[in-house]
Amino acid sequence: MVLVLALGDLHIPHRAADLPPKFKSMLVPGKIQHIICTGNLCIKEVQDYLKTLCPDLHITRGEYDEETRYPETKTLTIGQFKLGLCHGHQVIPWGDLDSLAMLQRQLDVDILVTGHTHQFTAYKHEGGVVINPGSATGAYSSITYDVNPSFVLMDIDGLRVVVYVYELIDGEVKVDKIDFKKTTATTHSAH
Amino acid sequence: MSREIVKEEAPPFSCVVSAENRGLASLRSVRWRLNLGILPPSPSVDDLRRVTADSRRRYAGLRRQLLVDPHVAKHGGSNSPDLVMDNPLSQNPDSTWGRFFRNAELEKMVSQDLSRLYPELGSYFQAPGCQGMLRRILLLWCLKHPESGYRQGMHELLAPLLYILHVDVERLSEVRKIHEDHFIDKFDGLSFEENDVTYSFDFKKVLDSMEDEVGSQGNSKKVRSLDELDPEIQTIILLTDAYGAEGELGIVLSEKFMEHDAYCMFEALMSGAGGSVAMADFFSPIPAAESQSGLPPVIEASVALYHLLSIVDSSLHSHLVELGVEPQYFALRWLRVLFGREFSLHDLLVVWDEILTADNSPLHKDSGNEESSCFNLLNSHRGALIAAMAVSMILYVRSSLFATENATTCLRRLLNFPENINLKKLVAKAKSLQILALNSKLSSSSFTFDVAYNRSKSAVSGHNPSPGPVSPTTPLSLVPDSYWEEKWRVLHKAEELRQDSLDKQAPSGKRRWSDKVKLVLSRTESDPSPARAEKYKKGHRSSVRRSLLEDLSRHLGWKEDTETGDCFDTSNLEDRQSIEVQVEGQNETSIDSICTAEERCDSGSGTSVSEENSSVFSDPASSGSSTTNDHENDTEKSSVASNLSSDEIDDRHLNNPEDSPLPVSSPPEDVLLNYPHENESSGKMVSALKQKRHLSGRFQWLLKLGRNNVSQEASDKGVITESAKSANRDSKSNTADSSTAGSPSNSSPTIQRDVVDQNVMGTLKNLGQSMLEHIQVLESVFQQDRVQVGSLDNSAKNNLVGKGQVTAMTALKELRKISNLLLEM
Repeated sequence: MVLVLALGDLHIPHRAADLPPKFKSMLVPGKIQHIICTGNLCIKEVQDYLKTLCPDLHITRGEYDEETRYPETKTLTIGQFKLGLCHGHQVIPWGDLDSLAMLQRQLDVDILVTGHTHQFTAYKHEGGVVINPGSATGAYSSITYDVNPSFVLMDIDGLRVVVYVYELIDGEVKVDKIDFKKTTATTHSAH
Repeated sequence: MSREIVKEEAPPFSCVVSAENRGLASLRSVRWRLNLGILPPSPSVDDLRRVTADSRRRYAGLRRQLLVDPHVAKHGGSNSPDLVMDNPLSQNPDSTWGRFFRNAELEKMVSQDLSRLYPELGSYFQAPGCQGMLRRILLLWCLKHPESGYRQGMHELLAPLLYILHVDVERLSEVRKIHEDHFIDKFDGLSFEENDVTYSFDFKKVLDSMEDEVGSQGNSKKVRSLDELDPEIQTIILLTDAYGAEGELGIVLSEKFMEHDAYCMFEALMSGAGGSVAMADFFSPIPAAESQSGLPPVIEASVALYHLLSIVDSSLHSHLVELGVEPQYFALRWLRVLFGREFSLHDLLVVWDEILTADNSPLHKDSGNEESSCFNLLNSHRGALIAAMAVSMILYVRSSLFATENATTCLRRLLNFPENINLKKLVAKAKSLQILALNSKLSSSSFTFDVAYNRSKSAVSGHNPSPGPVSPTTPLSLVPDSYWEEKWRVLHKAEELRQDSLDKQAPSGKRRWSDKVKLVLSRTESDPSPARAEKYKKGHRSSVRRSLLEDLSRHLGWKEDTETGDCFDTSNLEDRQSIEVQVEGQNETSIDSICTAEERCDSGSGTSVSEENSSVFSDPASSGSSTTNDHENDTEKSSVASNLSSDEIDDRHLNNPEDSPLPVSSPPEDVLLNYPHENESSGKMVSALKQKRHLSGRFQWLLKLGRNNVSQEASDKGVITESAKSANRDSKSNTADSSTAGSPSNSSPTIQRDVVDQNVMGTLKNLGQSMLEHIQVLESVFQQDRVQVGSLDNSAKNNLVGKGQVTAMTALKELRKISNLLLEM
């Protein structure tokens, strides 16, 4: 029963001031075990805030991040699942499933989390899942018109992962969930 | 839980009901369940079955309901669960996830405690299966009782319950295995012919084969008739009917349902099962509804405990109160875990046996407010026993509590209860105190919840359950504290006066001697021995001594109206003889007065000496009283006083200035810090004992000093020893040492402090000192032999030599006695 929070593209302070208050009230420390962040935070203060929610924090570099030392991609193993993390501006066309699938094969992960499009998407593809948590602040994007603040919470439990999507639509938090079962167990690899 | 029991007619169970109960009760878990009210008191099989099945079902239902798995979709509910509610981050407290997280938090707390549970018995308690069970039980109870939540210590209450269940289940299966034959009817196991017409069945063959089977099992497993078995096992077998589903015991003890049963027991224990003492109360911070004091129940219970202690042993109680040792510092742990942390598991089971046997029904329900105890704890037999147990534990370590003036040390002693204890004694004491606790009629008006113990209160009878010197509170409490304070001040002044006067006099050495003499003589009773007179002719020192003795005896005897003589003549060293006589005359009276004074004395901080201690000290005390001849007449303690007489003062030449004031101050202090004794002899013993204690503290000095001035004292010593021997069979070494110990020290305030400290010194130390004394006496005896007692007559010398050996013998005897006593302790 591992809860993993996936979010990104906050663009604080350039394009947004802060997370929406409804999101902020939901995100309390102690419940979440891991946070994976696609990038574009952009400042260190945001990283510190995320760190208060959970000490295990993974971030990849977005193009507007001021911290230059984040990696381009990251992989980690949680439970039986291998997760891959990348900002997504490197994968062109931006947001294209096939290209992202290429990246997924490259990283050899079950769950690939990327951002940059500021749009939530979740695909089941080739025995894996490709998730885009969107922008947690609903920051402006040049490639998307209507940006709703959104983020993703994954509940990893053995061979099953339940993906909860939280979206702020018209001021209300809407939740949706996707179930995904893995067919074979992963050999536990050190990351 | 009690209901009308209709006894079954089934043959195995129709044995007398009491036997049935007894049989059932031979297993601890069953007995405890009876006591806790879970099982009906005299059950028939049906009832048992029903009750246990009910409770188990209840637990299973609870478990299913409360242990939440958020992944499990709620069947039968709405098909599309409301995700806004049911997502992991939901703030809604009713959501499954919310409950899940709350449970997780609780579970974390419980796991933390469980991981530290009974590490010394880790093989059982730390096993994952056991831990899992404990965790679930605790979680479920806490979820069922959200108002109390989980508190540290609940796991310690639960652990022994699970343990005994496990033990009993194992026992049952063990018995089953060993005595299989009684459980199984071999007949059933045989295969029958296809043709099952019974009358053609060859019974004989069957019997033979049965016997063969039996025989073939080897000699080790002989079929014994039921009667040959151990009675306990017998009852177990009788109660486990082979043909019933599991028999009575099988119903109650089942491995499958250990968790359920443990939960029931735990719940009953916590809720008190409708009785007065509910453990859950001890964990709650809010005061109980009907509490008179408005304090949280555990605090109130601690106060009740202290109250009981004050009734039983007021000196210890006041000592603790003075040090600022609040009862809840240690009582909190004791009460909350029902002494689980103080005893090893097996001892604890014995203690809980007692506690749970006590009836938990509340008393004094109908009587008016005045009669019922204002303490909730004392309102039932069980509660009273718990309080009595705690008090008995405190009393068990009382000597070490008295030995310290430091609150921290006291608490440390109380919180680290000694390992090897005489549990039976402890429990027996607790039982006797329980009666007292129940009987004490406390009028709530007179009791204040303040810490200060108001002695003038109530009609508590001076019940003395233990043979030890417990103070009878009623008569003593009538004497106001100021009385003794006044006396002490007067004594102190007199002492100082004497000191001043002494300073003007003869050399310090003499003064010390005289002080010693004073000390000694103050305790003497008696006829002046001819030897003493002889001794007194010895030197000018003796005159000083005499005067000091006079002074001392005067001081000590001042309480007595008969003591009129102001014979103290500080500057008069001329008329030694008259002084001698006076002193001697006064000694008796003074001793008497001292003794009576001691009896009347009520010391706030007096240490009560256990009987064994007093007996020990009576031996050394009684030894070597040179001046007194009446040792045999009176209690041995008085002989101590005589021991302290000038014999040894002459023997030991104290150059240590510190020693000088000691004898002066110590006697008054002895008087003041007396134990409230009920009889004269014990009073004397105690006083002598106290004195001994003070004196023994100076033994090391004595040793040094003694050796320094051997030559000078030789002659005196000779006389003294002679007189000592003549006077008393006991070794004079004690007196010698004690008298030297009594050598005055410089400042009386320091002495006072020292004395107070020594006052509370362990008896062991004193014993060691007295042993030293004896050794010293032996030494002195030999020295004495060597010494040229030129001034003495030949006869005296002969006596001396002869008696030197006698003294040595007595000294050895004393040493032996002391070592025996030490061994006992």
